[in-house]
Amino acid sequence: MDASFAARLRSSPGSSTRSSVAQESFAGFEQFFREQYQVVVRIAFAVVGDAQLAQDVAQDVFVAALSRFPDPADSDHADAWVRVAAAHTALNAIRGERRRQRRQQLSPAEPAPAGPEEKVLERESRAEVRRALSRLPRRSATVLVLRHNGLSYAEVATAMNVTVGQVGTMLRRAESALRKELAHASRA
Amino acid sequence: MHHVPSPVLRRLADDPLAVPDRARRHVDGCSRCQAQRGKVAGDAALASHLLSVPSDFGGAGDVDLEWIMLNERLRQPDLATPPVTAHRRHLPLPVTRISVGAGTAAVAAVIAAGVGAAAALTTVFAPTHVAPVRVSNSDLQAISSITGLSPGELSGGVSPSGSVPLRFGVLSWTTAGQLRQVSSVAQARALTHLAYAAPQALPSGVGSPSSIEVLPRVSATISFGPSASGGVAGSTLEITAGPGIVVQYGASGSGGSSLTTLVTVSMRRPLASSTGATASELENFLLSQPGTPSGLAEQLKLLGNPGTVLPIPVPAGASEQQLTIGGSPAVLVTDRTGAASGVIWESRDGIVHGVGGLLDSGDVLRVARQVG
Repeated sequence: MDASFAARLRSSPGSSTRSSVAQESFAGFEQFFREQYQVVVRIAFAVVGDAQLAQDVAQDVFVAALSRFPDPADSDHADAWVRVAAAHTALNAIRGERRRQRRQQLSPAEPAPAGPEEKVLERESRAEVRRALSRLPRRSATVLVLRHNGLSYAEVATAMNVTVGQVGTMLRRAESALRKELAHASRA
Repeated sequence: MHHVPSPVLRRLADDPLAVPDRARRHVDGCSRCQAQRGKVAGDAALASHLLSVPSDFGGAGDVDLEWIMLNERLRQPDLATPPVTAHRRHLPLPVTRISVGAGTAAVAAVIAAGVGAAAALTTVFAPTHVAPVRVSNSDLQAISSITGLSPGELSGGVSPSGSVPLRFGVLSWTTAGQLRQVSSVAQARALTHLAYAAPQALPSGVGSPSSIEVLPRVSATISFGPSASGGVAGSTLEITAGPGIVVQYGASGSGGSSLTTLVTVSMRRPLASSTGATASELENFLLSQPGTPSGLAEQLKLLGNPGTVLPIPVPAGASEQQLTIGGSPAVLVTDRTGAASGVIWESRDGIVHGVGGLLDSGDVLRVARQVG
């Protein structure tokens, strides 16, 4: 919609020329955004477990997607790209969180926010899943969140640039690894 | 046949039709493969339980708002993607001071006028909440002289379609059909596809509905002429709002009295899009028009993100209060005498609601909480 921005984006610095081609292209990107937004934020949420952070992840993904696919309709893999990018960006976010937690462990702890017991348990459970995901190989974590959030085997294969047969192998290994990570964490 | 490998057993768990019959028959007759299948399916179920997010989960946010935010972010000079954890969302500023137009008339008029307010300020407009703007009579006269619309027209009294020349272009509007009287709320719901919940418990003195109307969808366009400056020239701003449902209630036990004691209005929020100028360009251009009241311009700028706030004009002298209805910010206004009050809010599904009448604020809120 903000076609003037699109025009500026594609014109040389300092130029105010507005290209109708660029405006049409940006309209195409808006359509792409609207079609893909829900699935992108859903994938991100599966990883980060926080709606606002998932929306931030989606924003980052689409900013990057615009520079890579200014005309998404002309690409046969823009859909796949944003989905994998959502998983990767979300995994980066929770890995950053791990680093932050390590730093916090070295400084005086802040009291945990009070809340009903169920909420505390739910929060801890989500945190445990995030920690387990962050310890998995990136491709394993990615295949897990893609497959368990509506992508078919064929779509996962396209998104990850592997064969459909390989998806089954990757998925099986990833699910086994996730269970082991969680079991390891519960023993620790 | 050899035992079925784990990846095939995995696919058997959630895509069995893709597994060859031969493999399925083997599993049916092989205790070892059945045991392995159970383990694989268990891991798959655990992962699904922990990682699956329902397709209709409520955390995705508002795609219109997210698109606005993306546009804002892209306008920043540095287009590099920052680390996710370092990126602060430009969420709408919290509504720190909220008010609303007074009385029944204001409730109905303000929602209609909101479309105009939206048009005046945004390129892409998808409000998520309401916020007050104090408007004096002199402000209205000033806007009237800029737009060429009379104060009555600005309050929602425009004809079904038309156009007026502006200093900087042309404002035109059309409605999709006529305002329509219907016989029941159910019919209104069916015509508008709005999930409107009619209040069941009415305040003392309020009778049954005396009128149920369906407001048509309204579209307005501002075409900026070549004389418009600041990057706005040649742009077109398109605004849509509605449809909506207006229900008026009479007085109980009033015989043939035509007194309206309560009005509820629910309508789809206004949305605006521009084919050219940015939201900032439009805001700066419109607020810098000669004759624009400086106090009003200052208030509008203080609202924050113009794409997410629905400005509600508030007459001077009314008392206002901030509260929530159904978890959404709402503004309640009571006239000087306390005899009339109204409340406006936007529910999370993008419907703008107004409830007002010749009632005290407590009664109005009790009705509003049934609607939203």
